Amino acid sequence: MANFSNNTRFNSHISRTFNRELEDLRNAVLVMGGEIEVQYQDALEALLQHDIKLAEKVILNDVKINAMEVEIDSECLRILAIRNPTASDLRLVMTVSKMVIELERMGDEIEKIAQFVNSTEFVYSDELKLGITHMAQDVQTILRDTFNAFARQDLKTTMNIFALERLVDEKYNELRLQLEQEIQQNVQHIHYWLDVNTLIRSFERIADRCVNLCEYLVYLAGGKDLRHNSGKKIQKKIQALIKS
Amino acid sequence: MVKLFKSTKPALKKLTAEDISVEISDLSVYFGKKSVLRDISMVIPKHRITSFIGQSGCGKTTLISSMNRMNDLNKNHRCTGSITIDGQNIHSKKINVAKLRTQVGMVFQAPNPFPMSIYDNVAFGLRLQKQIPRRQLDEAVERALKNAVLWDEVKDQLFASASILSGGQQQRLMIARALALKPKILLLDEPTSALDPLATLHIEELMQTLKKNTTIVMITHNMQQAARLSDYTAFFHQGELVEYADSDKLFTQPKHKQTEDYITGRYG
Ligand SMILES: Nc1ncnc2c1ncn2[C@@H]1O[C@H](COP(=O)(O)OP(=O)(O)OP(=O)(O)O)[C@@H](O)[C@H]1O
Ligand SMILES: [Mg+2]
Repeated sequence: MANFSNNTRFNSHISRTFNRELEDLRNAVLVMGGEIEVQYQDALEALLQHDIKLAEKVILNDVKINAMEVEIDSECLRILAIRNPTASDLRLVMTVSKMVIELERMGDEIEKIAQFVNSTEFVYSDELKLGITHMAQDVQTILRDTFNAFARQDLKTTMNIFALERLVDEKYNELRLQLEQEIQQNVQHIHYWLDVNTLIRSFERIADRCVNLCEYLVYLAGGKDLRHNSGKKIQKKIQALIKS
Repeated sequence: MVKLFKSTKPALKKLTAEDISVEISDLSVYFGKKSVLRDISMVIPKHRITSFIGQSGCGKTTLISSMNRMNDLNKNHRCTGSITIDGQNIHSKKINVAKLRTQVGMVFQAPNPFPMSIYDNVAFGLRLQKQIPRRQLDEAVERALKNAVLWDEVKDQLFASASILSGGQQQRLMIARALALKPKILLLDEPTSALDPLATLHIEELMQTLKKNTTIVMITHNMQQAARLSDYTAFFHQGELVEYADSDKLFTQPKHKQTEDYITGRYG
């Protein structure tokens, strides 16, 4: 069933205008995803280099992402109204409409990271910084793989993402423990620690949203709704889809 | 699982014997040497609307005509397999074909009004059945015409020839003619193909009302109509039943690529 919705199939309608509309819709999501990736990269660099100018640029740029969400969603509505899409076409339009919500919220998390850079001096320990850096790099991988998986309609990659996200969760929990220790040692900086807590949570949330996107991708490919399933079940369902 | 949206019909897979009106088993139909339908096996659920969809020439009309033995009128016609309605094999010697056809009413693809008045067209079947007092007949004709959303347009010229009616009016006249007999199964071959959107909605509403005590099979080339109106949908391709499923399922997650291609308007 998975092979229904590979790239070329969006191009096989008898109506060429409809082909183009769906193709444009898909491309718009990829453009928005590309924009998110750049934002993330900039925010991360701003964080690691403490580059306030770059952080400001990220904050300003978020407006663009918000606008993209609105524009793509209204295009989804228009297509629903005039084309009455069915089957995989319907799933594409509905999925895109939900994906852009996730993307916009990822944008918000990235903006929060940039705001952290703007408002906070670096005082946390090398150990904590290293932990955050590692987690942030994993999230970057997840982000990149998620957009690649969407671009290539590649279900195998989504399986890696589900696994990698669990790793990020573990790292997040470790970081929280570490943070607790630092708080105990440096209680006077409590406001700062709360900001750091928000920061690592933002990274974790971005990975979460990537997983949501992957669930939508699987639904798009085969109509299986993976939301709120356990890890094992998800893996089984994806494997079944890849085989079919 | 939480159930916020209740389905009013059982899933096709969960039908029990009482839910079934027509059972078709291994039906194959030939016209001369030409094989038109091959090994069709399916059930038509009772008091539901079932849509048949598929490319022109795939055998939809042939299949519904088999259900009231309309194909028998063609000398070249030959069929194997069986069709049972409410447990009775319609090819059994005991079956009275004329009676079968009043119980299994059909509205043809192309309107074929008899060369007589509008009134007589609608009353035709009733008069064949039995002697009915004029008063009762008038009422039956009026009710049928009202249900078919034609009454207002023809009430002042009931005794004019049916041939003066427009294409869409003739189509509704054919629906009225079928309705007058109160069939327990109603076969509709593209019943709204010549109707404007409003008349179409009226006929669709009528079908929703009728299905309380009538089993309806409808052929349509309008995917949205099949999706919004019918409980179950069967997709045919070149004489074969490719996919038969609950309509909501078939139009969101078809199992077969051929179905997907057809309903989404793709090259086969
Ligand atoms: N009386 C007949 N004699 C010979 N061939 C016939 C006869 N009736 C139908 N056929 C053939 O059987 C095939 C199926 O015809 P049928 O009318 O059932 O198609 P259909 O699915 O209803 O198509 P449409 O959507 O165009 O109405 C066609 O190839 C047609 O040519
Ligand atoms: Mg036909």
